[in-house]
Amino acid sequence: MAATDDAFEEIDFEDDDDLDDGAPERAKQDADAERTPSVVVDDVHVRYRVFGGRKRVSGPEMGRIRAMFNRSRRHVGAVTEVHAVRGVSFVAHHGESIGIIGRNGAGKSTLLRAIAGLMPTSSGAVYVAGTSSLLGVNAALVSSLTGERNVMIGGLALGLTPAQVRERFDDIVEFAGIGDFIDLPMKAYSSGMAARLRFAISTAAVPDVLMIDEALATGDAEFRERSAKKIEEIRGHAGTVFLVSHSMRSIERMCDRAIWIEQGQVVADGPAREITAEYRKATKKG
Amino acid sequence: MTSAERGGTAAGGPSELAQLAARSGLKKVGSRPGLPEYVRTLWARRHFLWVLSTSRSYSRNQNNYLGQLWSVLSPLTLAAVYYLVFGLLLDTRAGTTNYPGFLTIGVFIFMAIAASMTAGSTAVTSNITMVRALDFPRAVLPLSVALSEMLTLLPAIGVMIVIVLLTGEPITVTWLLLPVALVLILLFSAGCAMIAARVVVAARDLRNLIPVAIRLLRYVSGVFFSIEAYAGRFEWGFVLEYQPVAVYLTLMRSVLLQDVAVDPTMWLTGLAWAVVLFLVGFVVFWSAEEKYGRD
Repeated sequence: MAATDDAFEEIDFEDDDDLDDGAPERAKQDADAERTPSVVVDDVHVRYRVFGGRKRVSGPEMGRIRAMFNRSRRHVGAVTEVHAVRGVSFVAHHGESIGIIGRNGAGKSTLLRAIAGLMPTSSGAVYVAGTSSLLGVNAALVSSLTGERNVMIGGLALGLTPAQVRERFDDIVEFAGIGDFIDLPMKAYSSGMAARLRFAISTAAVPDVLMIDEALATGDAEFRERSAKKIEEIRGHAGTVFLVSHSMRSIERMCDRAIWIEQGQVVADGPAREITAEYRKATKKG
Repeated sequence: MTSAERGGTAAGGPSELAQLAARSGLKKVGSRPGLPEYVRTLWARRHFLWVLSTSRSYSRNQNNYLGQLWSVLSPLTLAAVYYLVFGLLLDTRAGTTNYPGFLTIGVFIFMAIAASMTAGSTAVTSNITMVRALDFPRAVLPLSVALSEMLTLLPAIGVMIVIVLLTGEPITVTWLLLPVALVLILLFSAGCAMIAARVVVAARDLRNLIPVAIRLLRYVSGVFFSIEAYAGRFEWGFVLEYQPVAVYLTLMRSVLLQDVAVDPTMWLTGLAWAVVLFLVGFVVFWSAEEKYGRD
């Protein structure tokens, strides 16, 4: 998966509401022109179906028969379409790390998956330079297999050759810091250990675009330190890093830009400190 | 708003962003590659396919004390049960001279094909976390199901050969055809797994019909009786004889048992089914490549 060294990003975001800011935007655009974009997200919408449940629809004016029909729909044909991302656009450039913030359920993870090409967009398009890798809390590999097998499977799935995986195996295990547990099935791992191993695997092949979905939250302080270093290293290779986190402190520490998403739409996009400050204010009030 | 300072591509709308992407040489994410390109990326991940298949097949028996011994014990006990029921209690031995051999081959091969179909139908839906975490050609999933069932079948083939030898069959030249028959069965199972996986992703309710279809197949494929002896008297008996699963059972029997003749028509039919199912399955699965992972 290695790398055309040309992936970095910076995010230029445009939400419909924000488009009036003509003049300053133009100026900034000139500055951006020198840098090559690594990720372009163009008016992306993501809808997906969820089986097994249905939102309750009820209203005082609803007739009895309709109410009954709606109730029965929770048992037969219980499929709901979730419109998780609603028209997000931005441009990201090489060498940048971007924090994505927002409340639970705002569509952050879905957006990352769409950028990684793991979830199809229902309209709009995502363009990426080079390879991308998503690291998420629920990116479980095969839990009945040992850590060692999972390192192999994960590495090969990322496009490494068996020889490359074997070559990096010791580094991966050492970075994950899980010691002898590497020979036990992953179902025996604590959530922190599993997250460490996934992080180690995902970063074994240096991607051009790395997306991290809350994965650092489960690690202990020492591991967070190590992963922060790894992220720096990837940015140093002129890669782009996206980080979804609820910890404003880690966003401020590791990112230079932030995008705030609410209900699947971009609320604000800019320097990390400013956006997190705005977000803090808004959430305190709310 | 801060976005102003940070800037954005101007407000020209989607096409402008798309142009920017094209100028900078970015690739569109999640679009379905062409068929040759797809085959190429799949080939590049062949090690992934192999490791996934062997690991799956191995891990199946790892969660108990006897471990890998079960890969031999399970087929043995199964053969004993079938012999008790169909050989002794119901007696469907008509038209066969070596019923234990006939039955063992039927049961083992059918089990492998049926398992490929069952597991293949959920190959994408049950690996959704992997689909949403890693980017690889999705055809790896149904293919690895078929391959790992085939690997699980190998110890059973060993058991089968021992039973066949114990029942007095001599080793003949036709045994050389054994790997050929296994390859045909693998291709056929892989085709079925890809079709089933695609169908269940599109309409997951159909998953509930797969066990029904498999039960039907079990009774019409001559797993524990000779189609020729029982259905031969019907005019449409040939339909039963030439449907793919029955064909593969006959092929395996003609390889290992003396009283079943090696029939070139059967082999050609088996080859045709394997190639057609595999190619159709591959194209059918590929045609929805960009949609997997949506639900």
